[in-house]
Amino acid sequence: MTPRIAVVSLAAILAAAAAIWHADGYQLYTLALVGLTAIVGIGLNVLLGLTGQISLGHVAFYAIGAYTVGILTTGPGWSFWLALLAAAILAGLAGVLLAVPALRVKGPYLAMVTIAFGFVVEQGAAEWRDLTGGWNGLMNIPPPSAFGLDFSEREIALLVLALTVASLWFFARLSRGPWGQAMRAIRDSEIASQSIGLNPVVIRTFAFVLSAVMAGIAGGVFASISSFISPESFPFFQSILFLLVVMIGGADTVLGPLLGAFVVVLLPELLSWLAEYRLLFVGVLLLIVLRLAPEGIVGLIAKLFGKRDLGNAPRQTEDVAAFLSRRAAPQGLAVKGLSISFGGVRAVSNLSFEASAGEITSLIGPNGAGKTTALNLICGFYKPDAGSVSVGARELAGNPSHRIAAAGVARTYQTTQLFGQMSVLDNVALALRRGSLSWKSLLGGDADAAEPLAESLLAFVGFAGPVRQKAAALAHVDKRLVEIARALATRPDILLLDEPAAGLSSEDTERLGRLLRQIADLGIAVILVEHDMDLVMGISDHVVVLDAGTKIADGVPETVRNDPAVLKAYLGEKQTKGRARPAPWTPAGAPVLAVTNLSAGYGAAPVLRSVDLDVATGETVCVLGANGAGKSTLMRSLSGLHRPIDGEIRLAAQDIGALPAHRIAREGLILVPEGRQVFPELSVIDNIRLGAFARGSEDLSADVERMLDRFPRLRERQHQKAGLLSGGEQQMLAIARGLIARPKILLLDEPSLGLAPALIENLFAILADLRDEGVTILLVDQMAGLALSIADRAYVLQSGKFAYSGPASALAEDTALEKAYLGGA
Amino acid sequence: MLLISALITGLGLGSMYGLLALGFYVTYAVSNTVNFAQGSTMMLGAVLAFTFGVTLGWPMWIAVALAIILCAVWGVIVERVAVNPFVVRGSNSWLMATVALGIILENVVLFTFGKDPRGMPPSVLTTEAFYVADIKIQPLQIVIPVTGLAIAVCMQYLSTRTKYGKALLAVVQNADAARLMGINVTVAILAAFALSGLFAGIAGVLIAPLFTISASMGTLFGIKAFAVAILGGITNPWGVVVAGLIYGLAEASITALLGSTYTQIVTFSLVILALALRPHGLFGQAAVKKV
Amino acid sequence: MKRVLSISIGRRAAVAVFVSGLAFLLPAVHDEARAADPIKIGQVAALSGPSAQSGEAITRGLQVAIDEINAKGGLLGGRKIELVQRDDESNPPRGLTAARELIFKEKVAALFGGLDSPVSLAIVPLVNKEKVPFIGVWAAATPITRNGTNPNFVFRVSAVDEYVDMRLLKHASEKLGAKKAGLILINNPWGESNEKGLKAADENNPNIEIVGIEKFENNDVDLVPQLTRLKQAGADVLILVGNAAPGAQVMKSRERMGWNVPVVSHWGISGGRFPELAGPTAGDAHFVQTYSFFGELNPVGQRLLAALMKKYPEIKGPEDIFSPVGTANAYDAMHLLAKAIEKAGSTDGDAIRQALENLGTHEGLIKTYNNPFSKDEHDALGPDDYVMVRYEGERIVPVK
Repeated sequence: MTPRIAVVSLAAILAAAAAIWHADGYQLYTLALVGLTAIVGIGLNVLLGLTGQISLGHVAFYAIGAYTVGILTTGPGWSFWLALLAAAILAGLAGVLLAVPALRVKGPYLAMVTIAFGFVVEQGAAEWRDLTGGWNGLMNIPPPSAFGLDFSEREIALLVLALTVASLWFFARLSRGPWGQAMRAIRDSEIASQSIGLNPVVIRTFAFVLSAVMAGIAGGVFASISSFISPESFPFFQSILFLLVVMIGGADTVLGPLLGAFVVVLLPELLSWLAEYRLLFVGVLLLIVLRLAPEGIVGLIAKLFGKRDLGNAPRQTEDVAAFLSRRAAPQGLAVKGLSISFGGVRAVSNLSFEASAGEITSLIGPNGAGKTTALNLICGFYKPDAGSVSVGARELAGNPSHRIAAAGVARTYQTTQLFGQMSVLDNVALALRRGSLSWKSLLGGDADAAEPLAESLLAFVGFAGPVRQKAAALAHVDKRLVEIARALATRPDILLLDEPAAGLSSEDTERLGRLLRQIADLGIAVILVEHDMDLVMGISDHVVVLDAGTKIADGVPETVRNDPAVLKAYLGEKQTKGRARPAPWTPAGAPVLAVTNLSAGYGAAPVLRSVDLDVATGETVCVLGANGAGKSTLMRSLSGLHRPIDGEIRLAAQDIGALPAHRIAREGLILVPEGRQVFPELSVIDNIRLGAFARGSEDLSADVERMLDRFPRLRERQHQKAGLLSGGEQQMLAIARGLIARPKILLLDEPSLGLAPALIENLFAILADLRDEGVTILLVDQMAGLALSIADRAYVLQSGKFAYSGPASALAEDTALEKAYLGGA
Repeated sequence: MLLISALITGLGLGSMYGLLALGFYVTYAVSNTVNFAQGSTMMLGAVLAFTFGVTLGWPMWIAVALAIILCAVWGVIVERVAVNPFVVRGSNSWLMATVALGIILENVVLFTFGKDPRGMPPSVLTTEAFYVADIKIQPLQIVIPVTGLAIAVCMQYLSTRTKYGKALLAVVQNADAARLMGINVTVAILAAFALSGLFAGIAGVLIAPLFTISASMGTLFGIKAFAVAILGGITNPWGVVVAGLIYGLAEASITALLGSTYTQIVTFSLVILALALRPHGLFGQAAVKKV
Repeated sequence: MKRVLSISIGRRAAVAVFVSGLAFLLPAVHDEARAADPIKIGQVAALSGPSAQSGEAITRGLQVAIDEINAKGGLLGGRKIELVQRDDESNPPRGLTAARELIFKEKVAALFGGLDSPVSLAIVPLVNKEKVPFIGVWAAATPITRNGTNPNFVFRVSAVDEYVDMRLLKHASEKLGAKKAGLILINNPWGESNEKGLKAADENNPNIEIVGIEKFENNDVDLVPQLTRLKQAGADVLILVGNAAPGAQVMKSRERMGWNVPVVSHWGISGGRFPELAGPTAGDAHFVQTYSFFGELNPVGQRLLAALMKKYPEIKGPEDIFSPVGTANAYDAMHLLAKAIEKAGSTDGDAIRQALENLGTHEGLIKTYNNPFSKDEHDALGPDDYVMVRYEGERIVPVK
């Protein structure tokens, strides 16, 4: 706390105390209600603001606290203070009780559990008559007393002030300390929080308990200030008001619930002259506030006036190398016989390999080979059906992921999983704890002590942006770097990286390569899943190749690169060829699709950079390139699924760059998407008919018949649900669904993905038929050889730009292609 | 006899809950949002039917049809005013916003329709009766579950036999792929909210002769229907309908067996227990987690 | 340091809210009342939500009485009476807050309560502490007036559950010859208060016994399971406690199961359009009233009915007066209070209390009050003031 804040806080407290001193009975009671509501709100903020869980039954904890104090002070005649302690404890226990089912459910399910809990407590209070006085409640609850003095409303209001200030202070400390950060981490990414060793079950339960205790204390004081309670004092609507306190004020802010309480309690009082129209007014106001101030009052003011202090670039003040290499003995990772199936499909089957300390081991393979699944098995996100994962002598298979992380296995994710609403620095600083949270650190502890090391780690990975920036606001490359820094902060023995180079420019990729080497040299076993073959082949000590869940090669890069099995997995059988056009073909007329200067990307990082492409009527064009080169983004941009884009897309001379996807489809550009995307619960026939949705109410029977003639397998299964079809059949269906729309141009995104070789040949035969019938086709496929053999023309996409364009036959002979897929020597 | 009468009661109530819960299902499936104040839409249906049919004295079938249609329109308004503006900025505040809109609706009705609960005039549905093995049954008691079931079947038919029904199912199953078919997903979401309002309106009209009509008639009903939708696993339409029947039967049989004192405590405790054991509802399925 | 910024921003907001909070503190500064100032009378009742029309009924009774008093030149030498209404939303804490506001901010001379007993119970300790007379005109829970405080500032012009319950059982056994009573009670404070009252009344009445107790909710649609349980327990009369709408659900369910058991009801069903809501069997229920606008009216009754029809155009006759007891009780209570203020010669709470306890005779609507309150009896109406009635069509007629 800076001196300035201390002074301002003190002044505010004194002003509040002075206000209480001059207030009359009505104002005292109302101010006390503001305070009590604020305390419940602060507690609820721990749940909603920090851990991101909703509760629509918080009034239940308030009621439990109130009844505890009411019963104990009237019946057995306990002192108020003892009863208040009991209220806190009982509410906390109820919090644990509710946390058990609440932790298993999410979203609307959680909302329902808490609603039900609120009703059970309200009804329970009404029916447990001997204890609670039933519907007619408890009367004459005595006020607190101390030093022989019975508290009047004034003293109770001062007590509430003290409790409110204490709650604010507690929340402020909690929220900036490690516990608060851990709660936010779970809120922002539960998955990633486990991979830095945090146990979400414990932390969530704790948040529930804290929140319940605060509501219980507030309820206890409420009982004594109103001196009468009954079940009707705690209606369901009150839970909504509590939630409103946090939302109006601003979730995850210190003062939000206090301001929210002022609004929620005082506004109806200021409007009391509206009498019966007040609720109507409150409803309208609520809607307006939600619309105009989505992040609450604090958020709105911050947006209007605040300039966020983004901090400086990190400075390397601590010896990172020493920190990272501090370990008894270097330990590698050994995987033996690892297997897992999903719904009968073996995603990873009997995988064994070793990754030694100080080396970079790369795990590569075509799409769907099971690489990410293997990472998920190693770090405990999936539980393996069989096999072992060991670090040094420690067996880890079957442990939950937070325990595996604490044992020294850190990872990054294919799509970065930073804690988006936390600062860059906090992301890393939290990970330094490796998941250990002490009770001492509950009140913040030495929150800032870890910052120099965290900064140094950020500097070490090459992050140069402001360290207090929110992680969600970072550019793509910075997210990757921060995620690596966060993983390193757990001081791992094993570092797993899932496609760290995806979306990076070649310069950034090069720097990443150097960084990974540096990390390995510190004695860490680095395991890399990556599609950028230049990177893989350039820095790996050891490459493991997967295909269809099985290891097909294992060795140094040179060996692997020339392994025929690997080449086949990536490029398909060289010798199998699709059917080329019987006679050479020359384009006629204007192109049906003309793309100029197309750029597209996610956030700040462009994936496509100013590409030009055109397809003539009747032409078959294929786009090739390694994974991550931007092929899917191209297809999504053309079909309108990805917006916004820069540049121009013309379909038969009409600009469709600004149209939404469904309009583009109606204009006749039809995409057969990656992964087929059939409608699994609809029948085959219905799927086909939906393909013609845009055609209006024409009679489709003849066209459907034609599709069934073309794909006899579909006729056999026409009344089955599409989800039950095999992968090959689904692909046929997806194509049929596209064709029936009578496309001006048919786009196919990776149609051969995941199909057996025989099916792939069949697929390409069909594509060749379509071509010969005059369908205009733009094809993206990993089976480069096959694609080239049926295509008229080809483009090769590399890092978001076309590295080659020209006749397909010429490219088939060129080594440029192999280079694009498996990296240049 | 106790159990048979509980059965009849339970089926009637259960099909109402199911119908209202289908309204939660249809919007959740299409857009992952719901009108949390679904109970107030049901109230609107009953209030409008009464106003048109009794106060203004229009022919009952016109009154009922118009009331149901206006409920569908209200569903669209809810989506535009309280759901869409929040969804587009990635906020969860639609939940509170729909609650707010529900409060507004209830209070507007309170001041226009009146604070005085009203009752539908007796009709053939309640005055005629027949006996089945000593149990008196009014036609309405048959009409309600039959209508509830008929609507479920009708929905099933529309969604599996008509182009637009299938398009809606397509959006439910894969919104992006539906776009690629030329289906306008925004319109589909509006249609879902209209349907949701329609169901609530039908429930309101059906329940009006059995119940008293007032601004607050829908609140508890809405909450119970939400419980039903959640129990049914909110993404499974038949699960929702069956959960409605189960909930109705459970309520009636708990009352019949244990007495009415503990009905709410027991049913809501069962809701918590059921969700603790099956976090995705009785008939819902867990999504496969992915990184 | 991290959170500093949002704290300091929040603090600006806090200042803003604090300033608006000042607006909330300001109206506390009041000038001393001057002779021409109106006398403010508070009303805390449910004006929204399910019980909204009860509040409306009370308002009508109070307002007509106030109009009459003001038309005659007001009280204490020309001071007019002004009604200040607050909505309690049937929620005790809200009611308590509203009562505090009326006492401390509006400086009302006296308060009227509403339908909900818990709200009144929540207000009782406050008015006794602040010495402001509180007159209940509906809520019938016994402990509201018998709250054990001395001096007691809580009065009531309404039925008392304890007495009503005795009367209900008596009617069931003597008039209807019933021996086994099945209780069907609304699941709220009022129902619970009557459960106690009926049990106590049962102890003192050897001619009838309670064979079953069932509860129902305000929003219950179908009560056949509850009624079937009572039928199986052998009940030959139903004792009903509930307001018009849920009470009508009891009657409809009873009709639906074809059970022609007599029904004796507390007065709740008279609030609202019971005949319309319950349908053809509405007339089967005998119920208790403090007053009925049907039949031959005394002069006060004729005057009030005329005034109501004039002031509220939607009232075309007695059948349009929903919740007649609320209006009747409130009307009499306001006149009694006015008389007490005049007698006390000031708006001082304690003086009014003492005046109320020695009021003399007042020609009222429900009856001619002869010293309605005393130091030990704060209920103006007793068992002799109740009449048993039933609906005949839209009209309420005495049970012969």
